[in-house]
Amino acid sequence: MKRRSFIQSVPVAVGGMTVTAHGASPLLAALTNALGDTDRVLVIIQLNGGNDGLNMVIPLDQYASLSQATIRQNILLPEDKVLKFGGTNNATGLHPSMNRLYDLYNEGKMAVIQSVGYPKFSYSHFRATDIWMTGSDATEYINSGWAGRYLAYEYPNYPVGFPNTVMPDPLSIRVGGNIVLGLQNQGVPMAISISNTNDPLNLTGSLFQDPASANYMGKELAYVREVQRQTDKFGDSVKNSADKGTNLSTMYPKATTDLGYTLGQQLSIVAKLISGGIKTRIFWLSTGGYDTHAGQVASADHTTGTHANLLKGLSDAVGAFMNDIKLLGLEDRVIGMTFSEFGRRIISNASGGTDHGAAQPMFVFGKKVVGGVVGANPIIDPKSTVGSNLPMQYDFRSVYASILSDWFCVPDPDLQQILLRNYQKLPILDPGNCIPTSVHDQNNRLGENLVYAYPNPFVQSTKIKFETKGGHTQIQIINNEGSVIKTLLDQDMQSGKYTLDCDLEDAAAGIYYVRLQNGVLQQVKSMMKVR
Amino acid sequence: MGSIKPFSGPFGKPELIHLLRRTMFGVKKSDLNFFKSKNLDEVLQVLVPKTPALPDPPLRAYYNNVDPTKDTLDSLVKFGTTWVDTPAQASQPANPSGSRRNSLKQWLTGLQLHQDRSVYEKMIMFYQTLLVTEDAVVENSHAMYNTQSLYRKYAMGNYKQLIKDITLDAGMLRYLNGERNTKSAPDENYGRELQELFCIGKGPGSGYTEDDVKAAAKVMTGWYVIYNEKINNVTTNVIPRKAFNKNNHDTNPKVFSAFYKDAVIQPDLKITNPAPFATIDERRAFDEVEQLITMIFNTDELSRYICRRLWNYFVYYDITPEIESEVIEPLAELFRANVDHQDQMQIVVKALLGSEYFFKPEHRGCMIKSPADFHIGMARTFDFPIPRQSADPSKDFTNLEAQYYMWNIFRTYNVNAGQDVNDPPNVAGWAAYYQTPSFHEIWIDTATYPFRKGAYEAIGRSNFTLKAANTYDGKSGFLNKMNFVDFVKQFDNPSDPNELIREAVELLFGPPLSQATKDQLKTNYLLLGQATDYYWTDAWDVYIANPNTSDPESKKVPQMLQDLFVYLMSAAEFHIC
Repeated sequence: MKRRSFIQSVPVAVGGMTVTAHGASPLLAALTNALGDTDRVLVIIQLNGGNDGLNMVIPLDQYASLSQATIRQNILLPEDKVLKFGGTNNATGLHPSMNRLYDLYNEGKMAVIQSVGYPKFSYSHFRATDIWMTGSDATEYINSGWAGRYLAYEYPNYPVGFPNTVMPDPLSIRVGGNIVLGLQNQGVPMAISISNTNDPLNLTGSLFQDPASANYMGKELAYVREVQRQTDKFGDSVKNSADKGTNLSTMYPKATTDLGYTLGQQLSIVAKLISGGIKTRIFWLSTGGYDTHAGQVASADHTTGTHANLLKGLSDAVGAFMNDIKLLGLEDRVIGMTFSEFGRRIISNASGGTDHGAAQPMFVFGKKVVGGVVGANPIIDPKSTVGSNLPMQYDFRSVYASILSDWFCVPDPDLQQILLRNYQKLPILDPGNCIPTSVHDQNNRLGENLVYAYPNPFVQSTKIKFETKGGHTQIQIINNEGSVIKTLLDQDMQSGKYTLDCDLEDAAAGIYYVRLQNGVLQQVKSMMKVR
Repeated sequence: MGSIKPFSGPFGKPELIHLLRRTMFGVKKSDLNFFKSKNLDEVLQVLVPKTPALPDPPLRAYYNNVDPTKDTLDSLVKFGTTWVDTPAQASQPANPSGSRRNSLKQWLTGLQLHQDRSVYEKMIMFYQTLLVTEDAVVENSHAMYNTQSLYRKYAMGNYKQLIKDITLDAGMLRYLNGERNTKSAPDENYGRELQELFCIGKGPGSGYTEDDVKAAAKVMTGWYVIYNEKINNVTTNVIPRKAFNKNNHDTNPKVFSAFYKDAVIQPDLKITNPAPFATIDERRAFDEVEQLITMIFNTDELSRYICRRLWNYFVYYDITPEIESEVIEPLAELFRANVDHQDQMQIVVKALLGSEYFFKPEHRGCMIKSPADFHIGMARTFDFPIPRQSADPSKDFTNLEAQYYMWNIFRTYNVNAGQDVNDPPNVAGWAAYYQTPSFHEIWIDTATYPFRKGAYEAIGRSNFTLKAANTYDGKSGFLNKMNFVDFVKQFDNPSDPNELIREAVELLFGPPLSQATKDQLKTNYLLLGQATDYYWTDAWDVYIANPNTSDPESKKVPQMLQDLFVYLMSAAEFHIC
């Protein structure tokens, strides 16, 4: 079998040309606009269940193997129906139900990253999800999310002293569900969730909250919800943005029975909030049903069926959202990404489905994305067995690193602290998007700085400086797994500023957290022990 | 007007749960199991009993030094024994008065946390907000203990007898200035509240006058409280008790208004036997108080007022003309028909709780929980582990201390959220039970809601610990933590995620949830976004078979349940019963 190589992205072009092309724009924006208007937004769409990447991004040059009865014959798409990506010599294409994402790709607004994974994968939904959320290794247990750590890096004093005039809005918003581990930082949620009680504005419509009925019960329910809204320190700011914002696209799936309806509704909320001026940086959404162990295609027509419907829903919803973002004039500020906890196995099973696998393709989309396919098609061994998996080409943390570095403009040494290791960056976003500004320094000072380590980084020991408002005060040192390794203080204190010695001579080098708990106040700061 | 219409519909699980929510603090799975095959009459037999015996008294579990040899806080009472019959003395090296008052509040909270299957403890809270005294004003743990003992003595008993006793109760005499009410300087405080708050109210049928307030005050002149006496020439505190000074009593005829049918109250000279009092004057003055209370109880308005308060307390605050005619009026008739019955309140409360109107769909799931209902109910529903004192608490300090420590945590939650047991904000009780138009809604506002949130998050996620070094005997500490796995194990079918969510919502929420929302909860918390139920079933079954499993999905079971229940507690529905 002839092995072809085609790294389809255009890294050579990134250098001089793109910097010139994009460089002026953010600089100009920084000079002329208020800071808030240049804030970057990332929309994360989690595909729950383990998405069959081989049936989404199709390696057309591998059909000789894929079409064998022992590999994927019972679910394989007809070659001529696949939407072929330009620039790939017709070797790579998209599932035919994803025409809207195909359009996005053709406009140069979508990067497809092939075979993303990590060494020593997990087949467990829950464990694999945690790995993707935290950015840990397969054997490593971490108690904070990668996005949560980024937000804590940008706003280290959060939640003490938030909201404030500079950052009146939630740092991140989880739409339609509980606050995922990805948005946590050592037990401090760096997000608010708009669903049910945390969605007293009912922005998510009837998705997660029953309407109050027209009787005594409904009266009291509405009353409690209103108090919850008033109590929620971000309730007013989210409401203001929702009131000011709008949607312009007519493409969102409209009927509740339309594919992608729920995700589309949730994305329309995101578009509305951004257009209303919300300064929230990260929105996290999820859509489920990708665990297609059986009957993932209709046997009569492999372009239809469960998985086709899922992909169409995703494509239609994201396509509508990007259309909305364009019409709202927000294209320069918004990118999105999709991921699942794993891809699926190379060979299909006898039930016309696929079982839990390893590497998967990811999409990163937006006007500021460097469009194209990153990476080669996976090579499908015709002798693949039930245990065969797509080998990983890119570490998923490389995608995170690229977004943090080239979208959120985190400098390299800090990047390593957030992602815990050094990962290569991929050419999916133009580094020229980032110009030096003082925004990060300003964000760093927002809120009340109640606890921090100094010096930091440190070699053997450091000092913990903290401020208590009086009463019971606790200072703990926590490792990456979330275990308390030292309690430096646990007693009633007079209000004031104090310093404690913190000796970590016996601890391994790495990232640690100091956590202050003082009554209802809680603050967590990171610190780094170096050799 | 006939008798109150009894509930005649089918008495199923929804009806049982509604009844338990309103009569106890929270619904427990074990209570549902206990009652599930009983009909309404059988359930009410258990829930609305005759007045039970008084509980064991509060014990000393407080100290000012964790080294018992250096502890000086209450030298007269051995650790682990009761202080209620040993008045604090000025000669003690440290004043234990505040500690005893707190001890009493902790104990009252503990009785709620460990309540029997009975409306009894909720009746105690009913009297706390109806026949108010305040610890902050009385400032005497013994007086406060005795006043609440009166609530308990008559909880399900005779209201007239309770009013008679409480009128001359030492704590009440102190709280509403009865002890300073004299012939030369009458104090109207108690005379007013007796009518306005305890008996007649200010409803449309109320008609007592300012002169009636003055006359009632005069009837009760001369009573005062003894706090200490000379023993061996040393001024020694005693348990406060009422006393009578005939020189301060107004023996003139006290004339009442037409509302009381122009009644005249004066000493009954036909009484010649002083027993059980020492003097004939005291006996006759006591008789005048009885005449006064009998006069007040002869009005129809008293029964209506008490029944409106019961309706407000157990059902809802909106008293429509229909409720007035279909519930209040017939219930008031029942109250009057049993005005001298020793089980009067049992009869009335049972009739209300067994009535058609109590079970009407519009009266279910519409009451905003009081702080006690919220926090105590949370602990009870979830079986939050609370250590219990052992058979001889004076020999087992750790469990005793741990028990009072946890009781105090729940007491503090209630205080923060606006309900300090034994300390209502004023003589009218907690505003949630009388303040129009908001009533129960007053419990929750932007100031108190964050405390409720803090409490459920702590109960759901925190460790409650005392280090051994910080305990009185210095031997063993303790640790409490909510175990949601044990809680869910009691469910009918916890390995089915649909059943688990259904049962959780049933136990926790007043208002029901739609199937779509329950499905969302299942998918988000038990399937973690997956579409197939067996992910939960497998994870649960493996975890239950081996809690130390290394299976990555099963290992997450405790965390998933914790997230689920903390989330459920954040819902508005959790604040409503």
